[in-house]
Amino acid sequence: MNVILQLAADGSAVPALLRKGPLALVPFLGQTVLEHALAGLAAEGVKRVRLEAGGHADQIRAVVGRGEAWGLALEISPTAATPDDFLPARSVTLDQLPQLPQQPLWRSYRDWYAAQQSLLPDLARQRVGTREVSPGVFVGLRSQIAPDAILSAPCWVGANVFVGSRAAIGPGTVIEDGSYIDTGAEIVGSIIGPHTYVGAYTEVRESFARGNELLKLDTGTLTEVTDRFLLGELRGQKRWLGGMPAALRNLWRRLPRPVAT
Amino acid sequence: MKTQSQAKTLTLSDITELNAANSATLRDEARAALQKDLTTIDVNLSQTRFVDSSGLGMLIALHKTMVGRGGSVRILNPTPSVQQILELTRLHRVFEIVKTT
Repeated sequence: MNVILQLAADGSAVPALLRKGPLALVPFLGQTVLEHALAGLAAEGVKRVRLEAGGHADQIRAVVGRGEAWGLALEISPTAATPDDFLPARSVTLDQLPQLPQQPLWRSYRDWYAAQQSLLPDLARQRVGTREVSPGVFVGLRSQIAPDAILSAPCWVGANVFVGSRAAIGPGTVIEDGSYIDTGAEIVGSIIGPHTYVGAYTEVRESFARGNELLKLDTGTLTEVTDRFLLGELRGQKRWLGGMPAALRNLWRRLPRPVAT
Repeated sequence: MKTQSQAKTLTLSDITELNAANSATLRDEARAALQKDLTTIDVNLSQTRFVDSSGLGMLIALHKTMVGRGGSVRILNPTPSVQQILELTRLHRVFEIVKTT
């Protein structure tokens, strides 16, 4: 069975999720929406997928490659033209996931949140290395949870996450991979994006925090937090050659110069 | 910023930003306008687009001053993003937030 996968056409109800790329690459329980969709299609027995990626082809290719991870032959094309040898094919739009066909993802931020809550236990049990430390509480590989932190079900803590002392996580919370929850922070009914720092003694409720952006799920209010000790991105900016050109330039400026006479 | 005192309340309004650049000035202005018999400071944040930690520091400084004399600071109609920052820092439990609209 071949599938033509189309990206969600309408993201107008969830503009804050579009700020860093297409909806297909929005974080969703440890991966992106597209990765879960491909896994779902592979589980249905699909062998070939043609993805109509529009202007996002390169960005998407960097995440899913050629579909090897799911045993799929994935072609990513910027246009909608389908070669004849690909037909017959079923058309699938990324407005919902194959695992959850009845639940639209992009009508509101709440839909996207609710879909994650529905799939949380199943996907957590499928994820390699994830342990159920108590009923409904899942913790991924290499994550460190302080002994006096409180995790309340349902709750997903990804891989390489640090949860500090007296932090309170959940219920209804997803902490994506590589995030750092500092001492005493309280996170309820929220999603913390990948590689996000949540400051000590802060409180995140019914929100999506990614980098320094804080989005209220109900109202869609988006705020950029400028104080990095409250909320911030953990990944440093990659510098060309590790910043060596800047260091050399700096050195050149500091060299002693002959004094003009 | 506009300051206006009425009965026992000092109202601060017309604040578009509350950040490192202007919070010290605003705090000094508010303190200068603070007469002895005032017990409440109302900070109207309905036009405030942006608050950072220095701005929050200024609010806390005013709060300390007022608590020292048995009064309080109230926040009037914060914009949604200011409300988010107050909730993130748990200051919505410290200040009384009044919404009139």
